Amino acid sequence: MTVLKKELSDDQQLVEAAQRDRARFADLYERHFYRVYAYVVRRVPNHEEAEDVTSEVFHQALKKLDSYEWRGTPFMAWLYRIAANALADRWERRSKEGAAPSREIPEAAAMDDIERRAALFELVDALPSDQRRVVVLRFVEQKSIRDISQEMKKTEGAVKQLQFRALKQLRSQMEGANA
Amino acid sequence: MPKRSLAEQLDQAVQAMLDHPGAETSQVDSEISPLLRIAAELRNLPREEFKTRLKRDLQGELGLSLSAAAETRAAGRPTASPYLTLQNAAAAIDFYKRAFGATENMRLLGPGGKVIHAEIQIGNTPILLSDEFPEYGSLGPKTLGGSPVRMQLNVDDVDAFVRHAVAEGAKVVRPVADMFYGHRAGQLADPFGYFWTVSTPIENLSAPEIQRRFDAMPHHQESAKGSAEVRKGFHTVTPYIVAQNAPSLIEFLQKTFHAEETLRSGPGSEGGMHCEVRIGDSMLMVGGGGEGFAWKGQTRPCAFHIYVPDCDATYERAVAAGGVSLGKPADQFYGERSANVRDEAGNLWYIATYKGEDYKWPGAPTIQPSLHPLRAEPVISFLKNAFGATELGRHATPDGVIRHATVKVGDALMEMGESHGPFQPMASSFMLYVPDVDATYQRALAAGATSMSEPANQSYGDRTGAVSDAFGNQWYIATPVRG
Repeated sequence: MTVLKKELSDDQQLVEAAQRDRARFADLYERHFYRVYAYVVRRVPNHEEAEDVTSEVFHQALKKLDSYEWRGTPFMAWLYRIAANALADRWERRSKEGAAPSREIPEAAAMDDIERRAALFELVDALPSDQRRVVVLRFVEQKSIRDISQEMKKTEGAVKQLQFRALKQLRSQMEGANA
Repeated sequence: MPKRSLAEQLDQAVQAMLDHPGAETSQVDSEISPLLRIAAELRNLPREEFKTRLKRDLQGELGLSLSAAAETRAAGRPTASPYLTLQNAAAAIDFYKRAFGATENMRLLGPGGKVIHAEIQIGNTPILLSDEFPEYGSLGPKTLGGSPVRMQLNVDDVDAFVRHAVAEGAKVVRPVADMFYGHRAGQLADPFGYFWTVSTPIENLSAPEIQRRFDAMPHHQESAKGSAEVRKGFHTVTPYIVAQNAPSLIEFLQKTFHAEETLRSGPGSEGGMHCEVRIGDSMLMVGGGGEGFAWKGQTRPCAFHIYVPDCDATYERAVAAGGVSLGKPADQFYGERSANVRDEAGNLWYIATYKGEDYKWPGAPTIQPSLHPLRAEPVISFLKNAFGATELGRHATPDGVIRHATVKVGDALMEMGESHGPFQPMASSFMLYVPDVDATYQRALAAGATSMSEPANQSYGDRTGAVSDAFGNQWYIATPVRG
C-alpha cells in the first residue's frame, strides 16, 4: 500500500511536470504504456486493434492533459477512463457485435489482473536479449521453433532452452513481485 | 526410452497452446503448467517496435502542439513581455536558441539586415527583441554599460541547464546553489550584456517563512551595517602603488606622512613584495620590488589628494625625504592650502590642509586617489556602470573642461581632473572590496573593461578577480570569503 501511495504521488509530480512542459509527457508514457496496452489487448481481437486503441488513448491523454486535475483520482484511472471510452466508441462505430463494452473503469480484481500483465511485459524488457528475442518471435509473432532457429542461427534445441529459461526467469520474477 | 527434457516438454505444450488457443491445456508436468500460463499471457505482449513508434508519434505531436500553442499565444498575447534591445540581435537569437533552448517565432528585417523586431520563445514565454536604434533611444546593455533588468528562467533542472548554457558560451556570475528562499539557483551573463537568474524550486515556502529565514541570516545582518564586504579597516577602494623599490617608498611615506606599516609580506606570485600602510584613516597597498626580491614588472604610480594638519610642515618633510616639489604651499580659492610633490616612485601628492574647523574637508578621508584622464566623462561613466559609483559634484570651465569632479564608490571618495600640465594620465591600480566579486566583475566587463583574471578564491581568504579599464587602470576586485 505504501508502494502504491509512493507511486501515486510520483504520478502527481510527473503529471504536473508534463502540464508545465509537454516534453515531460514522455515520462508518463514510459510509466503507463504497458498498463494501457495490458488493459486494451484483452478487449480487442488482435494486436493491430490493440495498437490502434493504445495510440488513441495516449494521443488523447496528451491533448487533454490540462483538463486532468489531481483530486485523489489516480492518473492511471484517468487513462483507463479514456481507454474505456475509446473501446466503447469503437464498438459503436463498428459491428456492434457482442455486448457493449462498459465505459466504467475496471474493477479492483480486473485492475490486479492488468497490473500483473503489465508487470510481466516490463519484465520481458529486462530479459537477456537472446531470451527476449525468442519470447517475441515465439509468442507475439507465433513463429515455429524451426523458423526461429533459422532466424537466430541457433539449433532448435538451443531455442527451446532459451524459451524454457526465459519462462522460468519470468515466473520466478513474477513470484518475487507478487510475494 | 530416456525422459524428454523439460525444455522439450514445455515446447510441446507451448506449441499445443499456440495451435489451439481456446483448448484446455492437457495434463502437463507440475513444473510446466505455471510456465505455460505465463507463455499464454505473453501472446498479449505488445509488438516489439510499437512502443517506440508510438512514442515517436507522440513526440511529433508534441512539436505540432507546441507550434499550435505558439499560434494560440499569438492570438491572445501575454499581458506583459520583456523586450530586449541588443547590439547584435541576430547573434543573440542564435545564442538564446543554443544556450537556452529558445525557438524563433518570427523576425522582421530592415535595411542592411538589421533586426527591427523579433520574437523568440523560451519555454512558454515569448521574448521580444531588436537591434539597437539610437535614433529612437533604443540602446542595449553593452552600449548603456549594463541593464537594470534581470531575466529569470524557471527550469526543471537548474544544474543541467546552467551546464549546457555555459558550454554554449554563457558566463557564470553566481554559481548554482541552494537559496534560502527555497530555490536552487545561479546567475548567468549572456555575451550581450543581459543577466539571467536560472532557478528550480526545491522547497515550497510561504512568504513569511522566506522573510523569517532572511532575517535570521547572519550575513544579512552584517551587510546591512555595510561592513561584511569590505575588509576590516579598509575603504571600498584602496590604491595599490607598485614601485621599483617598495621599502624605499614606504620609508618616504613614514617620514613625510607618519605612515604606519601594518603588513609586509612576499615574495608573491610575481616575486615581489606586498605591504600595507595606514595614513590617518586611510590604507594604501604598496607592492613591487625591493632588496632581495627578484621582482621585474611595471611600476604603477598614482596621484593622491592627502589631508594633513599642517601643509607647510608636511611639504618640508616630503622634500627632505627626496620628494620633488611641483608647487610650493599656497592658499587655494576653494578653501584649502596645498602643495604638490612627486616622490621618487612617481606618485603625485597634493598635500592639503582645509581651512576649516578640521584640517580635512568635512566627510573627506585622509587620502583620495586622484585621476587625470584626458576626458573625465567616460571614466565617470565607467565607474558608475561598473562599480555603482555616484558623482558628488563637478567643477568645469566655461569651455567644458572638467577641472575637478568627485565620485563616491562604496564608502570611498575618488577625484579627478582632466589632464593638464604635469598632471597627465597614469596607469594606476586599485583594490576594490565589494559584496559580490563575481557580479561586479561581470558588470565591469559589461561596462567595457577587459578581464585580467576571472574571480577565484585566494589562499589568503579573499575571492578576487581583476579587470583593466579602457583608461589603463587595473582593478583588483575582492570579496572577503574567510569566515
